[in-house]
Amino acid sequence: MGIIIAAEDLTKKYGEFTAVAGISFEIREGECFGFLGPNGAGKTTTVKMIHCVSPVTSGTLTVDGRPAHIDNRALKKITGIIPQEIALDPDLTVYENLIIFSKFFDIPRHEARRRIAELLKFVELEARRNSKIDALSTGMKRRLLVARALLNRPRLIVADEPTTGLDPQARHLIWQRLRELKNQGSTLILTTQYMEEAYQLCDRIVVMHQGKILKEGVPSRLVEAEIGREVVEIRIPREEDEAVIRQLSGFSCGHERVGDTLYFYCRDGHDMMKKLTELDVHDYLTRPASLEDVFLKLTGRSLIE
Amino acid sequence: MNLSYRIYYVFLRNLVSYKRFVVSTFLVSLVEPLFYLITFGIGMGAYMGMFGGKPYLYFLVPGVLVSSVMMSSSFECMYGTFVKLVHEKLYDSLIATPVSAEDAVAGDIAWASFRGLVSGVLMMIVAILMGILPVSILSVFLLFVLMIFVGVLFASLAMIVTSVAPSFDFFNYYTELIITPMLFFSGVFFPLDRFPSWMKTLSRFMPLTHAVNISRAVFSGEYDPSLVASFAVIIGLEAVAFYIAVTAMKKRLIK
Repeated sequence: MGIIIAAEDLTKKYGEFTAVAGISFEIREGECFGFLGPNGAGKTTTVKMIHCVSPVTSGTLTVDGRPAHIDNRALKKITGIIPQEIALDPDLTVYENLIIFSKFFDIPRHEARRRIAELLKFVELEARRNSKIDALSTGMKRRLLVARALLNRPRLIVADEPTTGLDPQARHLIWQRLRELKNQGSTLILTTQYMEEAYQLCDRIVVMHQGKILKEGVPSRLVEAEIGREVVEIRIPREEDEAVIRQLSGFSCGHERVGDTLYFYCRDGHDMMKKLTELDVHDYLTRPASLEDVFLKLTGRSLIE
Repeated sequence: MNLSYRIYYVFLRNLVSYKRFVVSTFLVSLVEPLFYLITFGIGMGAYMGMFGGKPYLYFLVPGVLVSSVMMSSSFECMYGTFVKLVHEKLYDSLIATPVSAEDAVAGDIAWASFRGLVSGVLMMIVAILMGILPVSILSVFLLFVLMIFVGVLFASLAMIVTSVAPSFDFFNYYTELIITPMLFFSGVFFPLDRFPSWMKTLSRFMPLTHAVNISRAVFSGEYDPSLVASFAVIIGLEAVAFYIAVTAMKKRLIK
């Protein structure tokens, strides 16, 4: 697989504020690449530079072999954007939104009509063809944004937090559609705060924090390398920590105290559970390690504002 | 400036959405000039006697014609554009497609001047129905051309205001401090000859004064050499305003 996007020491500054601080990464053609991070980590800024709506401050960024630049219409032509905000045209109907948007890409009218029929089916909005945007639910609006992003048959699809504010049904429908697109050969770039979303969709992810990339890798391997297989959460008073840690350190690869909970990361929680029963500790929970643990371990468990 | 034929697509988007507002905007476009024509033209005109051998309405109509173009195109590029920019985030969607920021802004300026033209034409129809006719068919055609130029000029000026506007309230400054005074000091309602000389000088700096001069000359078919200068002012200012408007809006759009 070829490299479709390459960033080298990519930096973005807004005045004095550094949003992206010299990151480097490569995205391969046909993969789903995820940018994970808390609010303000620089994910959206990074993808904005990739799809050429925000100028690069320094470093290099090439997309499909060409430098990303705000005036690069050729790159915009091969890219489809599913924006974070619901930026649909409220003065137009569902169909009008799509037909006008297809104009922006110079798609001939008869071809546009065909694609719109196809896409409305793809996102299950055929019945809403002539609805006004205000009459749609949030889930429908998000699906329409997906359809709109696909009008130009993009080789590169950028989805910036595409399922924010959706109920589980609507979210799963979007995930299925995004996976289908990837299977059809499109390259997918996803930014998200939902760990499950990244796990469901991404071949590779980077975890960003304060404009930097903290870790890069395949989601399942990242979890295994950073956390292990299982997490045991124990709720005991802080004073008992030392004693418990002394008893359990042999079973785990790491521990962390946050608020009322003591976290143990381990390969296998089984032995630890036996030990806990011996120690007469009952307020605990064993669960598989997740990307969320990696995320929280890397970006810190405290609130980010 | 990265301009292309895609300006037309932006114009088209506005035209499609216009379907829903067409009745209300036609009403507004008609009522305001009618109000001027009736109150000033018929009401006040009764006391005014003849203006250069013709009823006052012949003096008033060409001025109201271009000032209604000014109003419509200014408001479209202020309130209309601001809603699309801040509330509907339409510009963000546009610039993610092959439509450039420049195309998007120029498309909205073109649209606003079209709205100005529509107001002007409606106004002219009303005037014609009242029996106030331009001197020839050529005059009608030239007035259309003039209205397009005036529309682009005031749309661009308003777009500059929008490019720095933090909220709707900001537009009040421009409307109350620039547009309204211009309406009264540009010779729309009464000739400027009796103004003190400093006011005459001031009025020469107002683009509407020049637009009114040209409009009145074209309407009556009485041309004089000073019109060349008036036209030059309009074209020159228009080019500068358009350039600043597009550049300033691009700065606001692309960060």
